Amino acid sequence: MDNNKNKTVKNFIIKVEEVSKTFHTKGRKPVVALKQVTLQVEEGEVLVIIGPSGSGKSTLLRTLNGLETVDAGHIWIDNVDITRKETNLNQIRQKVGMVFQQFNLFEHKTALANLTLPQTAVLKTSSGKAEATAMALLNKVGLEGMERSYPSQLSGGQQQRVAIARSLVMKPQIMLFDEVTSALDPEAVRGILELMESLAHQGMTMVVVTHEMGFARRAGDRIIFMDGGEILEEGTPQIFFDNPQHPRAQFFLSQVL
Amino acid sequence: MNFLLEFYNYRILAEYIPQFYEGLCTTLKISFVALFGSLAIGTVFACLRLAPNPILWRLAASYVQAIRSTPLLVQIYIIYFALPEIPLLDRRLNELEGGILALALNAGAYMSEIIRAGIQSVARGQVEGAMSLGMTYIQRMRHVVLPQALARVVPPLLGQTAILIKDSSLVSFIGVSELFSAGVTVMTERLIPTEAFVTVALGYLVIYLVLLWASNWAQRRLAGP
Ligand SMILES: Nc1ncnc2c1ncn2[C@@H]1O[C@H](COP(=O)(O)OP(=O)(O)O)[C@@H](O)[C@H]1O
Ligand SMILES: [Mg+2]
Repeated sequence: MDNNKNKTVKNFIIKVEEVSKTFHTKGRKPVVALKQVTLQVEEGEVLVIIGPSGSGKSTLLRTLNGLETVDAGHIWIDNVDITRKETNLNQIRQKVGMVFQQFNLFEHKTALANLTLPQTAVLKTSSGKAEATAMALLNKVGLEGMERSYPSQLSGGQQQRVAIARSLVMKPQIMLFDEVTSALDPEAVRGILELMESLAHQGMTMVVVTHEMGFARRAGDRIIFMDGGEILEEGTPQIFFDNPQHPRAQFFLSQVL
Repeated sequence: MNFLLEFYNYRILAEYIPQFYEGLCTTLKISFVALFGSLAIGTVFACLRLAPNPILWRLAASYVQAIRSTPLLVQIYIIYFALPEIPLLDRRLNELEGGILALALNAGAYMSEIIRAGIQSVARGQVEGAMSLGMTYIQRMRHVVLPQALARVVPPLLGQTAILIKDSSLVSFIGVSELFSAGVTVMTERLIPTEAFVTVALGYLVIYLVLLWASNWAQRRLAGP
């Protein structure tokens, strides 16, 4: 299937320029998580990041909504440099949704309340309107009848659906996914991946860290391979999977495929 | 019954029921107001203690340290005798207000440490979930972290509240007539210290039992499923 969108003018909604990040932990050697990473993402593009564990994928993703600060370099989201101190990160984060491996739902709130809270608190939506939006989204992700359940009463797959719906209530322009199926059983994995593919088809700009190579091939417009905090290879799924150039990419693929 | 009269002379005590009753009410009032004051102070200082700004958390840490390292009685005396006129009030605090303020400031420091532990027990992931939605520090604290943190620390807060209620007896030293001072009156006027202070102790016990019931109720309301 050809997912590549025909665009005359390239509008980069995400620009990352020479971003570096080192973690300093007391009593341990500093860890270089990102080494001068540069990349761009077009509006509506699905960028898939793959690579071995510890290669800096999560760190890179988390810099895109300011959950992680950078030591050097710049990141522009919709032409706003979010690495500048003056930038209001909370405003940027309304445009950049994020879904986590461990769901990160509010445990003391029902599925419905998980979706209404960000609207009433951040967007100052009236509670009636917030509830209507929340119900519609919960239905859309296949959770009809689960509105009153607490996260602890839901399966992993259902919790992840709530988490995706919760991000969507903010009407984000970009969605970040960090190994969102890694904590799920195979049945649930399929459902979540289908949900993500349908989001991709609706034109959502997505940056996806995943070990699901089938998903990367089907839904990805472009693949990035990272190792040791660097982008070692970049290309379309066809080129990357059928003819990887870098030895470490070749080795990685031989392990996972 | 004679045997009981020897150990616990309820006939003499009956004459002092009004004093004990008023003392109990005053102790309840002091404790109640100081409890809510200390919870507010404790919550604010717990949040300050965990704030990213080093000036804020150093300030909060110093406050807790100062309270912990000095006797409550000294704190009560400082607040009551040393505090100047309050601008909006146009006068100095009376003994009741001074006592309540000192108790709230004292218990607030201990409560802030308990609440801080509760805040830190809420999984970091939930905070990141809230951050990723654009919620500010105050919104995250108010809607996500504090409800869960407080629900988890109800038992230690209850313990601290029991201490607060017992400590409230110290405000009798600046002239507040509460439960403990009712016992002192009975002892000095009728020379029956056993009856006087067993009765006082029973009064504190009753307050504690009511409190225990209230905390169970609060925990159920905050906790979710
Ligand atoms: N908060 C942190 N503190 C210290 N080291 C970290 C932190 N987060 C990540 N790292 C380290 O940075 C490197 C990259 O981590 P990460 O981005 O999570 O990798 P990946 O997501 O590809 O598995 C790893 O060596 C990891 O141990
Ligand atoms: Mg990771």
